Amino acid sequence: MNALEIHVTVNGESRSWSIAPGDLLLDVLRREGYWGVKRGCETGECGACAVLLDGAPVNSCLVFAAQADGRRVLTIEGVAHGDRLDPLQEAFLDHGAVQCGYCTPAMVLCTKALLERRADPTEDEVRETLSGVLCRCTGYRKPVEAVLAAARARPPAAKPKPAARRKGAAR
Amino acid sequence: MFDQLRAFHRPTTIAQALRLFRTERRRGGRGAFVAGATDVVVLGDRRLRFLVDVTNLPLRYIRRRGGRWAIGATSRMADLEHSAELRRFANGALAEAAGTCGSLQIRNLATIGGNLANASPACDTAPPLLALDASVVIAGPRGRRTIPLDQFFRGVNRTALDGGLLVEILIPAASIPRGGRAAWSFQKLGRLKSDIAVVNAATGIVVDKGGHCTWARIALGAVAPTPLRARRAEASLVGQVPDRAAIEAAAARAAGEAKPVSDVRSTADYRREMSRLLVARALAECAGRLGRSS
Repeated sequence: MNALEIHVTVNGESRSWSIAPGDLLLDVLRREGYWGVKRGCETGECGACAVLLDGAPVNSCLVFAAQADGRRVLTIEGVAHGDRLDPLQEAFLDHGAVQCGYCTPAMVLCTKALLERRADPTEDEVRETLSGVLCRCTGYRKPVEAVLAAARARPPAAKPKPAARRKGAAR
Repeated sequence: MFDQLRAFHRPTTIAQALRLFRTERRRGGRGAFVAGATDVVVLGDRRLRFLVDVTNLPLRYIRRRGGRWAIGATSRMADLEHSAELRRFANGALAEAAGTCGSLQIRNLATIGGNLANASPACDTAPPLLALDASVVIAGPRGRRTIPLDQFFRGVNRTALDGGLLVEILIPAASIPRGGRAAWSFQKLGRLKSDIAVVNAATGIVVDKGGHCTWARIALGAVAPTPLRARRAEASLVGQVPDRAAIEAAAARAAGEAKPVSDVRSTADYRREMSRLLVARALAECAGRLGRSS
């Protein structure tokens, strides 16, 4: 195979990797030690492998690693600030929103992206955001509560301005 | 899964993409254009030897000129869903359909061009685009050709692309008589809204000043090898006031034009019955919108 060189910013750090043309982002991330990216169905259904690609949640099992060249990837390993958990992660703990934990990284990443876009998400928006991550412990209620609590708890300065969303969304 | 892939190209121009595709083809082996990859990966064709990624081409745009639209083929479903302008266009039918194409993580990857080029019978963006008389622009070695969307689909996962690249979707301005009005509706039946459709449907109607229908489009998905227009049902509405009786008659006729199969998601009988129901709902929603906006 003709190896390709890709340059990706993962969790704020520049990485250069040699990959095969057919490698998927999920496989490369796990090979490189980002084990918080979970391997689930590998057909885009379960969402356990979600990462943020340039800030947007995607299933890394559906992204060719070559397509991540030059882009920013955020995995769960990059969400905490050193030893200090992100307030959203704290909210998941406070609300008992973690059972087996396999889907938790994806849930945190997807809702983190939502909170960065929406100052005060509705419960429906939170549920819609979580609906792409399958939890087989049947635990959606507590994650929903955790995300809503994290949104409410944010200091006003940390919240995106409501007007900013329209600008970003309208293309 | 794709360990037999020998090349993954990332061209930045359409000409380059077409050239790479041709050159690789000559070297032999199966290849494909790829954008969001949400279908290419899931189909998992191990015979693929090369892929030409088109997401670096300048094809991610949604442009409106007057009543006409041009949508770049690599626009993501999320782009369509969140476009403030598109949400106001045609009662938001196309934006709404894009918003049902899989989960959030899928809609951030999947493109409208890929959705059409994959030619799934259940393709969610096809019914609204058929109800908007959309065309697709295909770039090939001998230049560009534009074909109506209803001639693009040739069978399950089969299209008129013929090695070309789908680059743009065009939507013409609706022809509305003086004093007349238009309305559209999208309907989808699935276990969740993001699931593959059991049946999907879109309708569009134009009425004149007197409330008589001058133009009608009824499109159905997941009920035939390709998304289809129920032309006899459309014709039956023209000249009529879209009241309950006319809507029921057109919906029954549309269900008769469906050619559903039974599969894991539904039986053929259920699909036919749901075709009738969804078309009736869509037409009633159009009629309601016309009533309210007067």
